[in-house]
Parts: sequence; C-alpha cells; structure tokens
Amino acid sequence: MRSRIVGLFLGVGTGFIFAWARLTDPAVIRNMLLLREADVFLFMGCAALVAGIGARLLRRSGAHALVTNEPIGWIVERPRASTVIGSVLFGAGWSIAATCPGPMAVMIGEGQVAGAVVVAGMIAGLTLQRAVVKKLAARPLTAVSS
Amino acid sequence: MTRCPWYLAGPLFGLIIVGLRATLNKPLTGLGCYIDLAEHVATPQRLGYRAFMLFGFVIGGALFAATLGSFHFSLEYGTAGEVLPAALGAQVPLLLLGGALMGFGARTAGGCTGGHGMSGTSLGSPASFAATATFMATAVLLSHLYKLL
Repeated sequence: MRSRIVGLFLGVGTGFIFAWARLTDPAVIRNMLLLREADVFLFMGCAALVAGIGARLLRRSGAHALVTNEPIGWIVERPRASTVIGSVLFGAGWSIAATCPGPMAVMIGEGQVAGAVVVAGMIAGLTLQRAVVKKLAARPLTAVSS
Repeated sequence: MTRCPWYLAGPLFGLIIVGLRATLNKPLTGLGCYIDLAEHVATPQRLGYRAFMLFGFVIGGALFAATLGSFHFSLEYGTAGEVLPAALGAQVPLLLLGGALMGFGARTAGGCTGGHGMSGTSLGSPASFAATATFMATAVLLSHLYKLL
C-alpha cells in the first residue's frame, strides 16, 4: 500500500512538471524533433544529470530504500538487437504522435482527451508485443537437414 | 502561465527520479506504468505502484490545469507541427498507429524516453544510451522526412 501511495505522489509531481514544461503540447515535441529548439533535450539532460548524481550519492552512502528497505543499487545492461529494433519502432511512433508515454497520460488530465487515443494505441501495442513474443517462444524448433 | 524553463523543470524531474530510487529503489519508466495497468486492470487489487504512478500523471496534469494553467476540455489534438491532418477523424488512425508503434517498440527495447532516455542513461546503462540514440535519431529523421513530403 505504501508503495502505491509513493507511486501516486511521485506521479502527480511528474504530471505537474510535464504539463508546466509544456511537454504535453505535440507542437513543442515536433519543434524538438525538427531541431528548432533545444529545450526538451536540455530538460532531459538536466533530469538525467540530477538523477544520476542523486542515485550515486544514495548508493555511496549505503542507504536503504525508505519503503522497501532494499539496499540502493542497480544493474546496467548491454544493448541487444532487440534494444535497437524496438527503439526504431518507438522512434517511428514518437515521430507520428509527437508525444511519449508520460506526457500522453498528462494530456488527459489537462482535458486534451485525444491523448487517450494515443494511450489506447500504446496499450494495444505493448499487449500485442507480449502476444507475439509468447507465440514465437512457443513455436516448435524445426530440424534443419543439409 | 508561462512555460517552466528547462533549467528548472529538468532538475525537478531529476529529483522525482531520485525520490523513486530513495523510496522504492526502482527506475522511473513510463512504459512500466502502462504494462502494470494493462496486465492487472482485470484484478485491481494487484495493481502496483507503477499503475498508481500513471494515475498520478493524469491527476498531476489536472492539478496543473486547475492551478497554474487553464483547464479546457478539448477533443482536438492539433496537427503536431503540421504533420497530422487537421480533421480529428483522420487523426485517430494515425494517433492509434503512433501509440501502437510506441507500445510495441518500447516493450521490445525494454524502455522509452523515461526509462531509457532519462532513468537508464542517468545510471550509465549502455543499453539505454544505445536505445536513446536510436529512437532520437529515428524520430528526428522521420520528422524531417514528413516536412519534405
């Protein structure tokens, strides 16, 4: 229950910041993608910088997570083919809708209900991906004879 | 209300990511929020913190609109920089397609602009740097291509 409250609280903060920074305006994202303004790139860079410093300070101090009591730590992964293939598809979708997963939900809260259409597509896409992966995993291996 | 400048909004969002690390030792990922919702919507008692974070996104948008912004109910999406058609009926299939590509792609890649682009890169993940470079390059390239068509 406490983790849900934390999620809700931090989600409200995220939604407020995204709306205030106008990340919910597809025209702003398009200007970013057309390299007409650097604000969103700088936003992302600053967020990553602060998050990186904060996470490392927490880990170095030997802190434990306040709710889960886990020692603060993480594992990083090497890129795989799926990382690149999936990112190409994600980038293609991003270029069409000019919004991404966080801001599209915030749009709904601001009253821009068309954002719900993108959300519906997003949920359909990730559900379909799961089904495709399951189907491929269940496919019987066929012997190849020379 | 004027737009919050990047040098204020960026660090504030960075602190949100740190807050999630400090409380739950988890990365902030938009994709994970949707997966949580999609997989547990039929059994709400199993919804995790990520689904609640997604609800928070919506509430945060409403809170901004009700305080510093201006709430107005609108069916219009806009042309997203003169790329989408103006008519809502013609926009819907494209918005569904855009969303579906993002959902399918992000789950295949293991993250999106939040999970890879900010959380993962902040931790120095090579996969996140590869993903971010790839989806940024793809979206920038295609956006320029749309302008030529």
